[in-house]
Amino acid sequence: MNSVLIQAGLAVGLLILGYLFGTIAEKRHYKKIRQREASSAHLPVIASRYPPEDRIYEQRLVRGEVVISSDYFKGFLAGLVNFFGGRVTPFESLLDRARREAILRMKERASEQGAAYVFNIKFDTTRIATGRLAAMEVLAYGTAMVPSAETGPTLDDAVGGMLLNNSDAMTTNTQI
Amino acid sequence: MQYENRQPTDGINVTKTRPLVQFVQLGVAAAVLIVLLVVVLQVSGGWVAKRVPFSFELRVMQELDVDFGHNSEHPQMAAYLNELAQKVSLNMELPDTFEFTVHYNNQDVFNAFATIGGNLMFYKGLLEDMPNENTLAMVMAHEIAHVVHRDPVASLGGGVASTLALLALTGSTGSNMAGSVLSNAGTVTSMQFTRGMEQSADETAVAAMYNVYGHLNGAAQLFKLFSDARGPESQGSKLLEGFLSTHPLDENRVLAVQERAGLEGWSLEGELTALPEGFASWL
Amino acid sequence: MHTTEGSILLISNLEFLPGRTVNKHLGLVQGSSVRSKHVGRDIAASFKNFFGGELKGYTELLADSRDEATERMLEQAKSIGANAVLNIRYSTSSIAAGAAEIFVYGTAVELVDQPGTHE
Repeated sequence: MNSVLIQAGLAVGLLILGYLFGTIAEKRHYKKIRQREASSAHLPVIASRYPPEDRIYEQRLVRGEVVISSDYFKGFLAGLVNFFGGRVTPFESLLDRARREAILRMKERASEQGAAYVFNIKFDTTRIATGRLAAMEVLAYGTAMVPSAETGPTLDDAVGGMLLNNSDAMTTNTQI
Repeated sequence: MQYENRQPTDGINVTKTRPLVQFVQLGVAAAVLIVLLVVVLQVSGGWVAKRVPFSFELRVMQELDVDFGHNSEHPQMAAYLNELAQKVSLNMELPDTFEFTVHYNNQDVFNAFATIGGNLMFYKGLLEDMPNENTLAMVMAHEIAHVVHRDPVASLGGGVASTLALLALTGSTGSNMAGSVLSNAGTVTSMQFTRGMEQSADETAVAAMYNVYGHLNGAAQLFKLFSDARGPESQGSKLLEGFLSTHPLDENRVLAVQERAGLEGWSLEGELTALPEGFASWL
Repeated sequence: MHTTEGSILLISNLEFLPGRTVNKHLGLVQGSSVRSKHVGRDIAASFKNFFGGELKGYTELLADSRDEATERMLEQAKSIGANAVLNIRYSTSSIAAGAAEIFVYGTAVELVDQPGTHE
């Protein structure tokens, strides 16, 4: 009987903590997302396979990825929603944040390389099993179109595809 | 070609909700649903199970051939317990079809229980603490009452039905915590049923005690023994503790015996019958 | 910057690159990497789980893993004499608690500059 009480107390405590921290974190994250979206609006992300041919571009693969976890409250609420079925609203904002964050990280890497556009953007969303609660990874990737020097590159000096050391770029990213 | 990045209106992909309100609404609805479901299944499962004839219970137990206790190693104890069961049951209203077998188990557990097929199990841990025959007879009468009320089969039926339903429902939440909280709600609901069974078994047992001995001395002592065996009182609220347990509170059971005695004019005092000589050596 | 011996390969998830022509298709190349975090990271992540937010350890794990898968794909491409991999796709699968497989594939090609484009 004591174990029931301890379990109930723990659940209530975690629900309160999860709700408070989760709500604050979400508000803060959305604020940052909006700021960064505004400041990176000059770099169009286009879901098209046909890049412009108005000038010579180098193509570089750029990626942005983020693993985001639901808080305890969201997880619990989603469990209740699942019970009755319907729109799992607590996870809608979670995925929205993750997807926008992934795009922003991709754009930030494209900007660092002086890209004018990112073409053919693709997404990949995966549930990451981290034990009890839901966590998901959203990956956004596309081809950054970096305008070349006036003479235009030949294949020999076209710098290959991608920036591999992504972890460096990651550290500059905002905390969610 | 012109390429632009226009910013669509924010929040189209996110439903505007008030999570706390949603939480309370869904939580209450789910809890009510679970409680109702468990009540319905316990009642109907128990009702159906009680319609199963007792002879079927006996046959099932024979087929299963469960090895109860250690009667063969303790023949004197086994004989004494079965004699006492006969003596007590003769003073209870029970249909002819009922049969009892008392089993002695030499494990050091402070417990006794009745299960399907009229099988009663008495543990060494309980027996060695028995101060007199009256108190032991109270245990015996209580367990026989369970069998007569068909409680073992009813709780099996109701329990299986509600456990299966709970598993199916709470599994569908996809969240361990929400699921386990809801299934705890179901378990607590089920406890209310077993408590009711214990109460009516006590009532039947008290009447049997009076019929056997002509007084109720020793009956209430049983519940004091339970209290002692449980150790120091827990700090939690009594109300909550009573709500979250399979049995009624010990002190309430003592009170119930006293009330009943007052109501029926049965004496709480009387000569206690000693346990037979050598009882301790039979353990 | 990606540095392996020999020439550097161009990779893109576009099928056609303006100003360049595919001379030869050399076939499918693929790279895969399965990784998991050590238990300390897992414990940290499970605490973070209560409050929500980014699981940085996992983000880095998957980024590193994706780098490795891409490297492996490029190694395959080089071994068949390609100078570019086009139309690449990433695919991620969570295969066990804390472990994920990253898979990347694309078409290995021999790319040449379109004559007359850069004049």
